[in-house]
Amino acid sequence: MSDDATVVPVDPETTPDALIERFGRDLVNDFDLDDPAFNEKFDETLNFMVRKCPVVHSKVGRGYYLINTQDDVRAAAQNWQTFSSAKGYMPNRPEGLPYLMPEESDPPIHTRWRAKLNPHLSPKTVATYEQAVRDDVNELIDRFIDRGSCEFISEFGALLPGWAFFKNVLGLPIDDLAMLVNGVEEGTFHPDLSERARHFAEVFGYLENHLKWRATQPSRGDLIDTILAGVTYDDGTESPWEHKVSILVDLTFGGIATTTFVMGSAIHHLATHSDQRELLIGDPSLIENAIEEYARFFPPVVGLGRTTTRDVEVSGTTIKEGEFVILTYACASRDPRHMEEPEKIDVRREGIPHSTFGVGPHRCIGSNLARVELTATLEEWLKRIPEFRVKAGTEPTYVTGYLRSMRTLQLEW
Amino acid sequence: MKVHIDEIKCSGHGRCAKYAPEVFRLSDDDGYNADRGQTIDVPAAEEKNAAIGIRSCPERAITVVAE
Ligand code: HEM
Ligand code: SF4
Repeated sequence: MSDDATVVPVDPETTPDALIERFGRDLVNDFDLDDPAFNEKFDETLNFMVRKCPVVHSKVGRGYYLINTQDDVRAAAQNWQTFSSAKGYMPNRPEGLPYLMPEESDPPIHTRWRAKLNPHLSPKTVATYEQAVRDDVNELIDRFIDRGSCEFISEFGALLPGWAFFKNVLGLPIDDLAMLVNGVEEGTFHPDLSERARHFAEVFGYLENHLKWRATQPSRGDLIDTILAGVTYDDGTESPWEHKVSILVDLTFGGIATTTFVMGSAIHHLATHSDQRELLIGDPSLIENAIEEYARFFPPVVGLGRTTTRDVEVSGTTIKEGEFVILTYACASRDPRHMEEPEKIDVRREGIPHSTFGVGPHRCIGSNLARVELTATLEEWLKRIPEFRVKAGTEPTYVTGYLRSMRTLQLEW
Repeated sequence: MKVHIDEIKCSGHGRCAKYAPEVFRLSDDDGYNADRGQTIDVPAAEEKNAAIGIRSCPERAITVVAE
């Protein structure tokens, strides 16, 4: 048998015993995004999977696959005919949660909405918000700079993305931001799935009310009015009210639930690497590239899901029709087949082929805005607080599922 | 050098124009590559920047075409 070409040699690192010993579970056959061990060994697990496990399976709930290499993720993300978004992006989706457009739809419905929404978040449009975002960065820093310390997440990172999006794009009041941030966070990470549904329902209710109110107001020609105007689908029907509400919910989820993690992680990295602070302070023109590298290495979206519309083979594994498949963007961004030393942070990399903002037609619509927020944050922070460190005796805390989030980061200077 | 920008694969990451603004232009309207579906010239002096832009495109939407 040994010369039979179909026998693949067993890799001692990926046997169930070796995996259980190292990661606490057989992550090839029984992965769990919500396992606290994944949260703790986040980098090690991603680096390992992208090298050794192109496809892994989970038995949790209704079960799901993860596909992990950059080539497979790109091919699947671009092939929406086989990997459909119409059945949702969350593994073990809470019952009764309405689908979120545009994320949980396929072309051509998806295309109609993106065509209308894109101009509101294009590079040209978000460039006009840059000064306002910069002013907000400084206003937040003013609140704590003289104190010589801050809890970065609650006092800055969880606020700036909401301020930037609500004030400039949605025209929503920022007073209710804390409630929405909490609703999205609990809706994503709560260990009890029915609790997730309850928190999401709260966010839906709030945003639907806002949309109803705006429908009674004169048009401002903004993103909300574009949503209210709706689109015509290819079959001639007009987009229903529920689709409009879900667009606003999806945008709000994206707008407040992700950028914080890149911000917090970048600031944490700089707090713990004085040479990197000096590098960026000495040459601020590196900051834009640094943000790409931080986004690559600190992905708030671990992966988002698709449902297969036919049997399909991915790196030698056959995935049946109707299976839930996660495109692990976080692994794809560390693929050693596409970059040198992916497990190292190097802000001078030339050309950073990362997948943090997704791939394919669902490419993050907020990516241009997120980049403005991140650039303004690092530029202003390093000017005003060039020396800072993690508060002695503390460490940042994290929570991970299909998203990753930083809960606390204590800083002092 | 000539490069082709795939009409369907381009999904508006804007990386190409960030690293090679003299070569790649984004549409003012939606921010996708303005030359989607086209083959364009890359001046010799811009080849290095263009290569970084091409490499940074998460969609692999830009390919060098043989002359
Ligand atoms: C660093 C920050 C962010 C990251 C890493 C991120 C990541 C992603 C990813 C990976 C996707 C792809 C979804 C898929 O493949 O199904 C996505 C889609 C999306 N994001 Fe973001 N996002 C960020 C910030 C934002 C912001 C600021 C907004 C809103 C202003 C936003 C709104 C959306 C929306 C609406 C979609 C769905 C697009 C579609 O399906 O066509 N995101 N995001
Ligand atoms: S980087 Fe790629 S996907 Fe993005 S605009 Fe340029 S060609 Fe299109």
